[in-house]
Amino acid sequence: MSVHEQFADDLALFALGTLEGESRVAVEAHLGGCPECRQELERLRGDAALLAFSASGPRPPSRSRERLMKQIAREPRRVEVRPAPRRVWWSALQWAAAGAMVVVVVLLVRQNSELQRSLAIRQASSAMQEQQLREAKQLLTTLTAPDATRFVLVAGTEPPQPQGRLIYASTSGTLVFLASNMPKLPPHEAYELWLIPTTGAPIPAGVFQPNRQGSAAVVKPPLRAGIEAKTFAITVEPEAGSAAPTSQPVMVGTPG
Amino acid sequence: MAQLYDRHSGVVYSVALRVLGDTGAAEDILQDVFMQLWRNPEVFDANRGSLPGWLAVIARNRAIDGLRKRRPEQELSDLVVSVEPDLVGRAEWSRVLDKIRRVLGTMPATQRSALEMSFFEGLTHSEIAAKTGEPLGTIKTRIRAGLSALRKACNV
Repeated sequence: MSVHEQFADDLALFALGTLEGESRVAVEAHLGGCPECRQELERLRGDAALLAFSASGPRPPSRSRERLMKQIAREPRRVEVRPAPRRVWWSALQWAAAGAMVVVVVLLVRQNSELQRSLAIRQASSAMQEQQLREAKQLLTTLTAPDATRFVLVAGTEPPQPQGRLIYASTSGTLVFLASNMPKLPPHEAYELWLIPTTGAPIPAGVFQPNRQGSAAVVKPPLRAGIEAKTFAITVEPEAGSAAPTSQPVMVGTPG
Repeated sequence: MAQLYDRHSGVVYSVALRVLGDTGAAEDILQDVFMQLWRNPEVFDANRGSLPGWLAVIARNRAIDGLRKRRPEQELSDLVVSVEPDLVGRAEWSRVLDKIRRVLGTMPATQRSALEMSFFEGLTHSEIAAKTGEPLGTIKTRIRAGLSALRKACNV
């Protein structure tokens, strides 16, 4: 028992409600700041309850039960708790809990609002990306369409010459090549595009056949990323393509 | 409420009758205690003790108040009674009562008397001392030791 010994006897009397005068005031003051003694007070009251159980006697008359039931029938139960000094901490706790809940609700509402905003941004971004993707596909379809016709506008009156336009991004290994005015080839032959690296042998970069208008396109051939290109060249190869050039280039690129 | 009454009215009535010695007054206390529970069930905290223990102490306090014709010293909601729930929750009443009676039976008569005068008659230790002619300190110690003996017997 961790009760303070100097209050032990008086605490027992207090539990029985028979402590009076200055002693009672002193115990009440001590109980206010001593949780151990408050706990001991509860136990002492429990001990007193055991004493109450010893009071065996006759059962109450049946009229008492009837009287109680009649009064209960007349009085609807009020769910009301009278304020009491010892319950102040509990009331404070309830208010604190209510306050905490309000804070949580506010935070949740704010978080929800931020999530909705974030979702809206993502949806807008997604719509934009879809739009860009649609446009890119449309561009690719146009570039690779069988009926795609390229026009080269030149000054003067000279007949149009074979011409190729190539865009290469070495970091991603992406290549787009557009040709125009390409001479028609004999059957079973095709043009082959070559990547000429800064060091090493030429690397195949796509096989193509010009259409009737002499136009052709090579879009994103399977190239390894990170190859630095010195230039590009086109040779005439068997229609299946070659692993290495088998003829002299018919066209060679120049930066521009 | 009818079930609670059937189960616990005996204890409440017995305590009130023991204190007041009057069946009519004891019936009033019985009615009063159960109506209080009906009106404000929140005043009993099941986490802090057993209902019969709480009812018994409330009945005793009400009866003592009636005896002294004074206002209650404590609000019902202020009263916490720690009795082991299992002690009275199980159908072991007779065993528990046997223990209590045995402890009271083996207790020195002076101690039991001081305890019962304090509890069932609501006498202060000064009043008991005046009645028995014994020192105040002795009465205090006997009452405390008596409660302690009851606790020890029922917690084992």
